[in-house]
Order: sequence, then C-alpha cells, then structure tokens
Amino acid sequence: MTDIIHFNQVGYRYPGGKDVLSDVTFSLGRGEMAFVTGSSGAGKTTLLRLVGLLCKPTRGQVMVDDVNLASLKGGDIAPFRQRIGMVFQNFNLLYDRTVFDNVALPLVIRGFAYSDVQRRVRAALDAVGLLNREKSSPLTLSGGEQQRVGIARAIVSKPALILADEPTGNLDPEMSKEVMKLFERFNQVGVSVLIATHALHLIVHMPHRIIHLDGGKITARRPRTPAMNDLPPFPGEDLRGR
Amino acid sequence: MAADQAESNLQVQPLPLMKRLTQEHTRVFFFSLGKLGRNPVGTLLTALVIGVALALPAGMHVLTQNLSKISYSWQDSLQLSLFLKDSVSSERGAALAREIRDRPGVQATRYVSREQSLAEFRSQSGFGEALDVLQDNPLPAVIAVTPERGRNKLQVEVLLGELTRLPEVDLAKLDQKWLERLYAILGIIDRAVFIVGLLLGIAVVVTVGNTIRLDIEARREEISVMKLIGAPDSFIRRPFLYTGFWYGLAGSVFALVLVLAGTLALSGPSETLASLYDSTFTLSGLSFGSSLLLLLTGIVLGWIGAWITVWRHLAHIQPQ
Repeated sequence: MTDIIHFNQVGYRYPGGKDVLSDVTFSLGRGEMAFVTGSSGAGKTTLLRLVGLLCKPTRGQVMVDDVNLASLKGGDIAPFRQRIGMVFQNFNLLYDRTVFDNVALPLVIRGFAYSDVQRRVRAALDAVGLLNREKSSPLTLSGGEQQRVGIARAIVSKPALILADEPTGNLDPEMSKEVMKLFERFNQVGVSVLIATHALHLIVHMPHRIIHLDGGKITARRPRTPAMNDLPPFPGEDLRGR
Repeated sequence: MAADQAESNLQVQPLPLMKRLTQEHTRVFFFSLGKLGRNPVGTLLTALVIGVALALPAGMHVLTQNLSKISYSWQDSLQLSLFLKDSVSSERGAALAREIRDRPGVQATRYVSREQSLAEFRSQSGFGEALDVLQDNPLPAVIAVTPERGRNKLQVEVLLGELTRLPEVDLAKLDQKWLERLYAILGIIDRAVFIVGLLLGIAVVVTVGNTIRLDIEARREEISVMKLIGAPDSFIRRPFLYTGFWYGLAGSVFALVLVLAGTLALSGPSETLASLYDSTFTLSGLSFGSSLLLLLTGIVLGWIGAWITVWRHLAHIQPQ
C-alpha cells in the first residue's frame, strides 16, 4: 500500500510560542482510515491543518498524495486543497445558500458543467441520506444533518483523501455513530480518511489504526485490527470500558 | 448502493477552460446582480451617490459643450478690419476687396470707401455736427473681411498677418478680445471639469471600494470556507468585481438620468434667454458617444474600486 500522507520528523511551533508538534513521523496508506486521538491541545488539529496546508511545518517534511507540501507556493495551494475533502467540527456551511448549493460548491469551483453538478450533488446527498433536503437552508437542519451536508460537500468531488477534525464534536452520541459509519462507507470505496477526535468511545470498536498524540508527540499507535479484543490499551485511557 | 452511484457519477471531468470561464462568468454575472437585488435600498443609495458624483462632471461637460456651441455661432460675426492707406483709390480698394475674397480661408469681404465710412459714422455715432467742423474726411477706407466659418483662432491670426503685409493696408485689426475672453473662460471651465471629474472619479472608486470592503467583512466567514475547500482567489474575487461593475453601471445610469433631467429643466429658460438675443440656440444634452463614455467610465471606476479593495483585503482572510 503506497502512502497518501507521510510525515517525516515534522514539528510545528507557533510564532514565538511553544512547540505544538515535535518529531511527528507517521504515514497513512492509500485507502486507509485512521484516527488521530489525544486530549485538547495535544496537536490533533494542527496535524490536520498541516495536511490541509492551513499552516506549514517549522521542521520536517509533509508529503501528501506524492506532493511535498513545502514546494507548493501561493497559486498551487487552492488546486491542492481541491484534491482533499475536509470536514469540520463546526460544519463550516454557508447559511445563506441551500443544502444543494453548499454541496455543489467544490464542483462549481472546479468548473463542472451544471448538469454534471446536479447529478453528482444528488448522488452525494443520497449517500448521506439528505436527498430530500436539497432545497432546504442549512439553518433548518439539525446538527447531525448539517454535519452530513458537510460530509457530502467533502466527498462530492471524489477526493482521494478526507480530513475530518472532530466531526462529532457537536453531535449527540447516536448521530456521532451515524457520522462515523458514513466515513467508513466512503473508506470502503477506496477513499483515505484521517479523523482527529477525542471521542475514543466511538472509535474503539472500529478496526482502524489510531495515532495517539500527547503534548505534540506520538505516544502510542494501535495497528489496524479486525477485532476489538485485540486492542492494546492506550496510556491513561480505559478504552474497553467506554 | 448510493455510494456506488456516487462513484459512477464521479468520473465526469471539468469543462474545457473557455466553456468553464463562460459558465462561471455567466453564473457570477447573475449571482452578483441577485445579491445586490436582495438589498435594494442599500444598493440604490450607493448607486445614487455614484450617480451624483458622475453627474457633476458630466453636467459641467454639457455646459461647456453648449458654451462652445454659442461661441462657435458667434464666430460668424467675427470680422477683420483692414484700414487702407489714404493713397489707395476707391477703385483699387474695391478691387483689393475682391482679391481678398478669393483667398483661401475668406468667406466674404465688404469694401467701405472713405465717403461711406464718413456717412455711416455721421448716421450712427451721433457726432455728425462735430464732423462739419473738420475740413477733411479723417476716416480711412475699410475692407471688412469675414473669415471662413470654422476657422480657429490660430488660422484667423495667420490670415490677419498675411493681410497686414499687403502694401495697401495701413492697419489691420481683429476685434476678438471678447472672444478670447470667452475662450479663456471655457478653458478654465474645461480644466475645472477635468479636475472635478478626476476628484469625483476618485470619490466613486472610494465609494465602491468602501461598499465592497463592508461586503467582504460581512462575508469573511464565507470567504474563509471557500478558501478551505480550495477556491482560488480568482473565484472568490469574481463576484466582488461584478458587484463593482453593477454599482458603476447603476451609478452611471443614474448620472445619465440626472444630466438629462437637468438639461430638460434648463432648456426652456435658456431658449427664452436666447430668443431675447434673436438667437435660435437650443440647449443640447449629452451626445450618444458621450453617454456611452459616461456608462463606460462608471463601469470602469466601479470595477477599479472593487479590484483595489478585493486585492487589499482578500489576502488578509485566511482559513482557520
């Protein structure tokens, strides 16, 4: 399996501040799904921001989809981001547009014909179970539905990689499970997925790799495993009891 | 399965560049218009401010055009007076007037002999009795030369110089001081129109720029989201540039209406005034070409205002 993400000795320090990430080295294979866990301030979001080119590492090298991100300059960043689907804790939807228009935006940006946009947006909305809400305003949707709109927007242009930063942070437990299942479904059709979350109880039953961060360093890794019984314990976390 | 359906639908490629640009510009053209339409009061007020700013120099331009028209018609009464030497006979004077009439740049000549000059002076000046005291006729023969219509000041001065050098001519005079003064005033007004136009053009750019800046601030989050999902700056910039275009267009249409209304309001009184001077002068509004130029100026200024603002502010908005 070739890697879609490769971090090599990556560090990030806020200007004039402390290290947020130190010597982080890990890879995410193509078609793999993995979680980045850790408490608040552990560096999960920063790690995802580095992948999405929302910030640049102060040390080390980040490769995404065979591109060394350090080589990308101003005009290259937008086309690069078009290759990634991003899902956020606060949904980041445009509330003056309909659900359809929100999901269509990545395709409109890339310049698809309107007939293709319609077809693909409906397919994406169907995939997240919101086809009947395409004309609604996101304001009329529940948190879970809004997050599903965000996911539909992330997958509509068929990215090779989906990044999700605390996608269940604003959702109730039932809806959180639904959202995680959606990510698994997209992973099953070959999309690589990297999710930052502190909701260990949601992912502990899922047979995917976990990268645990603490103080900006990887302190534990759980390999991809088919059964929960094989899970090794995480430092300071009683995963099985949740 | 829905995901499989999505999979099969995701094989489509983006449109070729030209088709994509056409589709995108058409979309943004109407999208930005719709956005303005959702805030009609604010849009109208901004367009009205731009309209007033554009109407002032446009109105002054109309004024100078009409004054030029008046001065042009007054040029018909412009005459050169050639005072002939006393030694020139009446026959030679009349012949000289005919020779001068055949010169290029001359529309008409009129020879006035010494006797005619005296008779005219006697009848028009009111000093007829005073002339009886004089033993000799002190007045010279005169050839009144009317330059060809449309000759400018320089051409008339060249003609004056040529006629001055004729051996029969004692003194040549062009009574154009009043016209020179009018031209000077028109020159000042022209310059004033340029300066006022320049200043108000800057005001239009600033007005549009400030409106767009507020729009950018209001849509900061939207811009941030767009950048997050990979929208290039050109994509984000486009709706704002079209907004500037619409403001400029609406403002210049307002300006056209204001100038037209002003022209209509002043045409009656100006014609009344002209009739008192036995003139058929009618006030003209903006020509088709000038109207087109005004529309174009408004659009370009609106676009420039939007472009400067977007260029300055867009780079500061980074996705979080």
